Amino acid sequence: MNSNFLDTIKDNLKLASHSLLAQKTRSVLTILGISIGVAVVITILAAGRGLDKFIMSQLEIFGSDTLSIEVKIPNTKDTSTENAFGQATGVTITTLKNSDTDNVSKHPNIVAAYGWMIGQAVVTYQGQIKTVTLFGQGYNMPEVEKFSLSEGRMFTKEEEDSLSQIVVLGSVVKEKLFGDDIASGKTIYIKGKPFKVAGVSTKRGATFGMDMDNMIIVPTKTMQKRVLGIDYIHNIMAKMKDTSISKQTVEELNEIIRANHDITDPNKDDFTINTMAEAVSILGSVVSGITFLLVALVCISLVVGGVGIMNIMYVSVSERVFEIGLRKALGAKASDILWQFLLESILLTSIGGVVGVAMGALMALVVYFVAVSNNFNWVYSIPLFSILLSVGFSAFIGVLFGIYPARKAAALNPIEALRRE
Amino acid sequence: MALIEVKNLTKSYENDGVATSVLYGLNFKIEKGEFVAIMGPSGSGKSTLMHILGFLDKLTAGSYIFEGKDVSGLTDDELAEMRSNQVGFVFQAFNLLPRTTVLENVMLPLTYVKMDQAERIKKSKEALIAVGLEHRLNHFSNQLSGGEKQRVAIARSLVNNPAVIFADEPTGNLDSKSGLQVMRILQSLNEAGRTIILVTHEKYTADHARRILRVKDGLIIEDVEVAKRLFAKDGEELMK
Repeated sequence: MNSNFLDTIKDNLKLASHSLLAQKTRSVLTILGISIGVAVVITILAAGRGLDKFIMSQLEIFGSDTLSIEVKIPNTKDTSTENAFGQATGVTITTLKNSDTDNVSKHPNIVAAYGWMIGQAVVTYQGQIKTVTLFGQGYNMPEVEKFSLSEGRMFTKEEEDSLSQIVVLGSVVKEKLFGDDIASGKTIYIKGKPFKVAGVSTKRGATFGMDMDNMIIVPTKTMQKRVLGIDYIHNIMAKMKDTSISKQTVEELNEIIRANHDITDPNKDDFTINTMAEAVSILGSVVSGITFLLVALVCISLVVGGVGIMNIMYVSVSERVFEIGLRKALGAKASDILWQFLLESILLTSIGGVVGVAMGALMALVVYFVAVSNNFNWVYSIPLFSILLSVGFSAFIGVLFGIYPARKAAALNPIEALRRE
Repeated sequence: MALIEVKNLTKSYENDGVATSVLYGLNFKIEKGEFVAIMGPSGSGKSTLMHILGFLDKLTAGSYIFEGKDVSGLTDDELAEMRSNQVGFVFQAFNLLPRTTVLENVMLPLTYVKMDQAERIKKSKEALIAVGLEHRLNHFSNQLSGGEKQRVAIARSLVNNPAVIFADEPTGNLDSKSGLQVMRILQSLNEAGRTIILVTHEKYTADHARRILRVKDGLIIEDVEVAKRLFAKDGEELMK
């Protein structure tokens, strides 16, 4: 690449910016078409990254060595719409019991297991009335997942077995009911029954969409007998010793629970077992798939922006026929004219790309603030490849849609072009 | 060796399969340092002849020899190369780029020549000094008078130090005083050894050249030395 070539590029860039500035409004609108597309690509990819990190943080809470046993409508797949729709519309599976939890706990590869369920109740304290989500969890929950207390203690096995009316408050609930005061040792009322506060959990954030700080943890058995009046559980969480035999462990647990539920045909299972690693991997694939689909859709808008560029470039060529003729008369080759117009088009789309990246970064920041303010463990991260992809794709659009108008310009006959002044 | 030699130069255009002849087998030579006026009425073929001699167009038959080399069959890129290195153009309508400075307009032909930017600026300034417009470097072309525009165009035609300058009706859009000024510059360039080929339909303007090639209906009907050559001087007006 000699200095003359660089000078030519420099001259052409100067010319391109000259003519873009001469038509400010048109240039800005054209750039905007590309910028919006690029901004959306950046935002989606940044949000995808945020979501991905969020899912990973969920994995950190539970650990990749945990597994979950959930109820399921028999003869449906656990991920099927029949199962999800059935449960959402009120089909209640009541076959998962505490005895299942006990049997799961006894498996040699299981460190600890607890059953849980969710409910809602009116809670009162010193005249304050709140409707709060109750989370029935076993005393040994801290052995299965990351959990810590900011004050007080966790309830004990004895307290759970004796159906003690004792709770651990989520940090938000504690804040609402007690403000800055110590909550441990105080008594609150759930459905009018007195419950002693054993402790308060530290801030846990949202887990799979549930705000873990805006809940009250009640011992599973107390929740069943004293609050909900049921004898079943919704789910069992368990922690494995050795994850390398997780597949075998799941198989064996399947057999154990089938035996408990008198099921011989696996198709009639009323439960399903998923390891957390598996769940996160499935969720991760779904997020990647959706991100890819959205980016592909947005790329269509970039192509539409490219058609706009092509239109503008055709107008620009038509308006500057005389200039093209003059340049050719003064010694410009067809390739010189081609480069001049192509660079103009690339400049338009590249500026669009850079502006779009800046706009996208801002939009991703808004997404970040919205997510964080909703208690999601989000990260603000613009993947480098998304910047390169967007700006590169924009420049490519410039070449793709600039080449035809530029070729038209390059092919003009100088004599005829000069006559058109 | 003649600078330009054409033998049996023929040009015809084809439109929808119908051929229209414009030039019919012209033969002439132009030596280096000559000042030749190609004169003829509108539609005579004088502009087409200038386009072919100036490498803007291709001949249909015959041959065109420039500085001893047959240039009849050059490709489009080779023609562009010749325009860039061997010829300069002065047009009737000035043909300057609007919203562009005088200096940038003069530099335009050098954009397509291997040369660094500082050298381009230096040569362009020299060309503007030659036409007496060094004080107008940074003015925009649309801020100039007609005469000044044409002087910028002459500076532009000079900047690549061409073997020949083609001036196509250079005084056609100018008042008498500015026209005279332009003719004086062209004459002084010729005095300095530059070959000038002037295209005009006016006898008076053509009489400022040394030789006249009269073209009519695509043929050269007269090739004569100017008997009473006119010299453009300051203070006079170009008669039309």
